Amino acid sequence: MDNNWEPKILAFLCNWCSYAGADLAGTSRVQYPPNIRVVRVPCSGRINPLFILKALQSGIDGVLVSGCHPGDCHYLSGNYVARRKSAALKRFLEYLGIEEGRVQFSWVSAAEGLKFSQVVQEVTEDVKKLGPPKRLVKRK
Amino acid sequence: MKLKLDKKDLRPFWESLMADYDLYGPVELTEGVSVFKKIDRPEEISPNVLNTQKPAKDVFFPQSEVMFRYEEAGKRKEVTSFEELKRKRVLWGARPCDIQGISVIDHVFLGKDYTDVYFQRKREGTTIIGVACDHPRSTCFCSSAGGGPFLRDGSDLFFVDLGKAYLVEVLTEKGKAIQGNRFFQKAKKEDLAFAKEVEKKASKELKPTLSLEETEKKLDQLVESALWDRIHEKCLGCGACTLLCPTCHCFDIADESLNRCGQRVRNWDTCLSEIYSQETSGHNPRPTVRERTRQRLMHKFSYFPKNFGRIACVGCGRCILYCPANFDIRQVIEKINAN
Amino acid sequence: MQQKIRDIAKALLLKKELDLIIGFGEGSLPLRATPIFVRTPEEADQLVWNSFCENNLATYLSKFSQLRVGLVVKGCDGRSVTALHLEKRFRNHPVFRIGVACQRMVDRRKVRKAVKGEILAAYEQGDRILVRGKDFEVSLNRGDFLYPSCRVCTRRTPSPVDVLIGDRVEEIPLIETHPEVAAFETMSPEERWRFFERETSRCIRCYACREACPMCYCRECFVDNSHPKWIEKGLAPSDLQFYHIVRAFHQAGRCSGCGACERACPMEIRLTYLTQRLNRDVKELFGFEAGIVPDAPPPLSTFDTEDKQEFIK
Repeated sequence: MDNNWEPKILAFLCNWCSYAGADLAGTSRVQYPPNIRVVRVPCSGRINPLFILKALQSGIDGVLVSGCHPGDCHYLSGNYVARRKSAALKRFLEYLGIEEGRVQFSWVSAAEGLKFSQVVQEVTEDVKKLGPPKRLVKRK
Repeated sequence: MKLKLDKKDLRPFWESLMADYDLYGPVELTEGVSVFKKIDRPEEISPNVLNTQKPAKDVFFPQSEVMFRYEEAGKRKEVTSFEELKRKRVLWGARPCDIQGISVIDHVFLGKDYTDVYFQRKREGTTIIGVACDHPRSTCFCSSAGGGPFLRDGSDLFFVDLGKAYLVEVLTEKGKAIQGNRFFQKAKKEDLAFAKEVEKKASKELKPTLSLEETEKKLDQLVESALWDRIHEKCLGCGACTLLCPTCHCFDIADESLNRCGQRVRNWDTCLSEIYSQETSGHNPRPTVRERTRQRLMHKFSYFPKNFGRIACVGCGRCILYCPANFDIRQVIEKINAN
Repeated sequence: MQQKIRDIAKALLLKKELDLIIGFGEGSLPLRATPIFVRTPEEADQLVWNSFCENNLATYLSKFSQLRVGLVVKGCDGRSVTALHLEKRFRNHPVFRIGVACQRMVDRRKVRKAVKGEILAAYEQGDRILVRGKDFEVSLNRGDFLYPSCRVCTRRTPSPVDVLIGDRVEEIPLIETHPEVAAFETMSPEERWRFFERETSRCIRCYACREACPMCYCRECFVDNSHPKWIEKGLAPSDLQFYHIVRAFHQAGRCSGCGACERACPMEIRLTYLTQRLNRDVKELFGFEAGIVPDAPPPLSTFDTEDKQEFIK
């Protein structure tokens, strides 16, 4: 494996907490790996499992879904439902053989700029160890 | 010209063909499930498969076929077409019903008004080695559909199983190009006699049982019949029958593109899917399974004969074997004929 | 049992309490029963009951939603009706459930593979199945030829029902874990993906699995979506895998484990190792089983503040 290979990670961040947290990391000049590509969603509950699958199919190396802490959802219960969907999806993907660590989930609040950078650091390292994906990727 | 091929020479024979041709034959994907595929190694072929799930039409009219690819990179614009065959082909192992099915599709794809170049090139470039059915299934009704277990129409060479060998009949000019194959021997008189016996036996097992000419006449009067209200009931509207049918030939064309490159792909489609007849206005002339089941039967046994002079069914029995709900077209035809 | 089903159907149709009864009739092939649609007391004599009644008839309910329908249901089919009811599918008329305590269904493919030559007739005789071909006759032990989803079944008696035919049976599965799920779990991630990849590579996108499933009733399935276009209509392996992952996942918390999807597939793709595992996950994570408790809320539309989240950073 090429040691210079840098994974591309799609990060779905909920607008009210995680995206704001990412923003705070930026304004606080906290360093974190540049591997993530952010997609802002209104709520982690917006995440359709098909988004994650489509991302994997497109050849993305990793996916991060991040939302508000339970109890703090701007829409009250979106993240609770996301939690259930995520739990079921993660188990299913790993059952099928999609490597553990390619798809990850986190709670990051608007005040947790530092935590966001740590999450990105961890996810990037995990995905880097896994290498480029071969499963589910659509060959063009 | 009657030749013979010992079964122990079957694999070397296939291998020798592969030197000059791309070889297509029946391949078992898992126990009891087989399709026609391009062969990389002769061991892949399962010669004793009575009939595959996916019919031989797949060799000429693939389920998913790239028509052309395009790419734009800077000033360079490239379009690659996939009309032409890179190498000539041999199709080994198709049964008379599947070969008849391809002839049915010829009416549409090699018609007088329009020629489908993708299909045509494959047709021109493929030598068909048909294999007779010496032990047809109880679900086969080819003899009712204008065919038969030993029908030679459409084959360039025709193999008949003699037990330890195959009798090889050379039927066309394309077939003659292969007759010099070093594994062929001259057939003996006993071989010819034995083959005749096998043919007689198989034909006896498959006497015609359905009158499909009657069906065509009856269907003219039955377009608005209440019969259709009952016929469709068990049909799930899945489309398995159409995809496995040797004569069905509907397709959908889609463009798949990504930024500056892409391809145009042709995929099989099924008239049993709801969106098949869905119009942009929102109107759907075949809104329920009732209309779509009716359409399928009328197309096969009424419209197609009117347009092309023969029914769009070869009696292979796949639709009967693989329907999840056991929709049996033979029973439906009998109902129509009795109406 | 068969006669009782016919009698009940006759009575219901005579009293005009129902417009249509969907049950099983004699199949046109050995080892098959076929769905039949009975509208008159005379037609009720066509109803049969045997170990080949493998279809889940609940899938036909959307077709006949304008009528008052009676449905012959096994345990799993009854769960599907309950699950559909939870999803508010019966606004016009409730479904009249003619429950039959199921003796577990026979895997016709396994039977076919156990003999050499075409099977021309098959008969049940107690706990044996007599299978006859042109030049053979074999007696098989019924218990060796049951569908895996039937062997793990813990709900053979449908409930709730409007009328139950046959006695309630002991709800003890023949085996605890679905054999294919168990086998699958012993494999490494790489091996598991290879297995899944190989199985789905045979897919011909006929959607028999989808249409056979009572829970797949969407007017527009995700495969037909063009905005966004999730997958193409061809045979790209990635698309075949995507289709099966999503179809299974869309059953999470909704699947009764009937196995109709796998039985419908003309290419004999294994599918229940996916759905059964998902059912187990949903039970472990959310304490929910489809169609068991009629008014338990759908697990993915609700939540518990104490849901597990150890996997979330």
